[in-house]
Amino acid sequence: MNDPMWTALGDKVEPGWAPEREWAVRAAIARRATRRRTVLRTAVAVASTGLIAVGGFALVSWRSAVPSSAPAVSGASTALRAPAAGGEIGIETVTVTQLSPETVLAPLPDRDGRGFALRAGGARFSVPHDTRHPFVVVAGDVTIEDLGTTFTVRYLGADRLNIAVEEGRVRVRAGGTDTEIPAGATLEVPVSPLPEASPKQQRPAGVATSSWRPLAERGQYEEARKALRKAGPSAVRDDTADLLLAADAARLSGHPAEAVPYLERVLRGHTHDPRAGLAAFTLGRVLLDELGRPGEAVDAFAFVRSSGGPLAEDALARQVEAVSRAGDVTRSRELALLYQRLYPNGRRAKAVSRFGGLD
Amino acid sequence: MSPKPNLRVAGPPPEPVAGGPVEFDELFARYGRYVAHLTARLLGSGDADVDDVVQDVFWLASRRLPNIVDMIQARGWLATVTTRLVGRRLRRRRFRRLFHATPRGQEVPAPGATAEQRALLARLYEVLESLPTDQRLAWSLRYLEGEPLDAVAAACGCSLATAKRRVRAAKKVIDEVFLRDGDEDE
Repeated sequence: MNDPMWTALGDKVEPGWAPEREWAVRAAIARRATRRRTVLRTAVAVASTGLIAVGGFALVSWRSAVPSSAPAVSGASTALRAPAAGGEIGIETVTVTQLSPETVLAPLPDRDGRGFALRAGGARFSVPHDTRHPFVVVAGDVTIEDLGTTFTVRYLGADRLNIAVEEGRVRVRAGGTDTEIPAGATLEVPVSPLPEASPKQQRPAGVATSSWRPLAERGQYEEARKALRKAGPSAVRDDTADLLLAADAARLSGHPAEAVPYLERVLRGHTHDPRAGLAAFTLGRVLLDELGRPGEAVDAFAFVRSSGGPLAEDALARQVEAVSRAGDVTRSRELALLYQRLYPNGRRAKAVSRFGGLD
Repeated sequence: MSPKPNLRVAGPPPEPVAGGPVEFDELFARYGRYVAHLTARLLGSGDADVDDVVQDVFWLASRRLPNIVDMIQARGWLATVTTRLVGRRLRRRRFRRLFHATPRGQEVPAPGATAEQRALLARLYEVLESLPTDQRLAWSLRYLEGEPLDAVAAACGCSLATAKRRVRAAKKVIDEVFLRDGDEDE
C-alpha cells in the first residue's frame, strides 16, 4: 500500500463524536474542577486550623514562660501572668498589669514568680493568696506583702509611694513599721529613693560604665555581664538594688562565682535593708547549688533566718540541706527537728526529713 | 443527574485568531472533535477510552490556559498532550495483556468504510498492537493522521531524527506484513 492510501484509510476511522458525548465530557471536566476546588479549600482550611492551633499553643507557652525568663519588664498596661510557687503546690496565677509606659518591674529572684521589685511607675497585682508563699512587692525600702488580694502600687514621686487595695488585705512594711491595709483603703508612705551614685563615683557622660544596668533590667544578662566587666567594679553602685542586679547579671549569665562578691557586699554594707534577707538567701543557693560550698551556704541561710520575713521557712529547710551536705549529721538532725516544730505542715517537710535523717 | 442542555445545530466555529487570549469554551468547541478523532486513530478504538482521553486532555488544558498563547498554537499543544496520554494508555494496556492474555477484541470504528477497508483496518491495528508504542504512535501520526515529520517529532516529544527512525522502523514491519498477506492471498 502506498502512503496516501494509509491516510485515506485513517480518515475512515471515526469515533462517532456526537454532541451527547461532548456534553458528557464537559460535564465530567466541570465535576473535576469542582472537586479540585473542594479539595483545595479543605486543604487550606486544615492548614489554617493547624497554623492557628500551633500559634495558639506557642502563644500560651510563651505567656506562661514570661515571668521566669524575663526579669525586667517595662511598658504600658501589659498583663503578665506568673506561675506561682513552683510545681509542688500546683500552678497559681499572678496577674500583673503595668499602669504606665515608664513602669519598670522586675521579678525577684528565687520567688518563683511571687515577688516583684517595682523600680518606677506603677503596677496592679492580682494575687491568689498562699500563706506558705506570700507574694511581695518591693519598692525602694518599702515592702508590700499580700494577704490575699488585688492591689496597686504606684510611685507618686521619687519619695512617695501609693498603695491602694481593691480586694483582700496587704501588709506594708515601711520605716520599720508594719501596717495592714484592708480592701478599699489606700496608704501613702514615704519611700527612700534609690540611692544615686555620689558625684565621686559618677563617670563622665558617654562612658559605657552604666550600660550594663539597662541590659540587665531587660534580661540580657550575658551582655550585661560583659558590659559590667568592661566597665570595672566601680560601675556597680553601693546600694542594694544595684548589687542585686549585678549579682543577677553574673548568676543568670552562668557565672555564679562572680555573683558572690556582690551579694556579700549587700550583707556587709546593708544588713538592715529589707532586701538583705533576699540577698542572703540567693547567696546561700548559689553557694550550695551552684558552687558546692555548703559550709558557707549554712551561714547565709542562718542570716536569712535571723532577719525573719517570708523566706525564713525556706531558709531553714535549705540550711538543713546545707548542713547535711557539709557532713554535720547531728546538726542537720537538730535543725530538721526545729523545722518540724516551727512548721508542722511545712511544704519542705519531706526534703527536710530526708536531709535531717528523720525518715 | 444534571439535565442535558438543549441540543441545537451549531454553526461553523470561528476562524482561529492568533495572539488572542484562549478561552476554554472556544478551545473545546474548536478542537474537541479533533482531539476525539486523533485519539480514536491512535488507539484504534472509539469506546469510553476516547472519552477518557478527551476529558484528560481538556482538563489539563483548562489548567494550562495561561500557557497556551493562541488558538493556532493550541492545536499543536493538544496533539502533543493527546499523544502522550494515548501512549500512556497503550503501555498500560500492553502491561495488562501480559497477565490476562486477552486478544484485541475491539472493532475499529469506521462507519463509512467498505468491508474491505474494515478488514484492512482490523489487520493494520493487529500489527500496530505488536509494535513498540513509540513506533506505533509515530507511524500513526505520520500516515493515518497525515502529519509532517516535524509535527510528528513535536507531538512525540523527540527529535526529528528519532521521529524519522521510529516511523521508518514501523513502516518496514507494516509493509512486510501487508506484502506477505498479499502474497498469501495470490
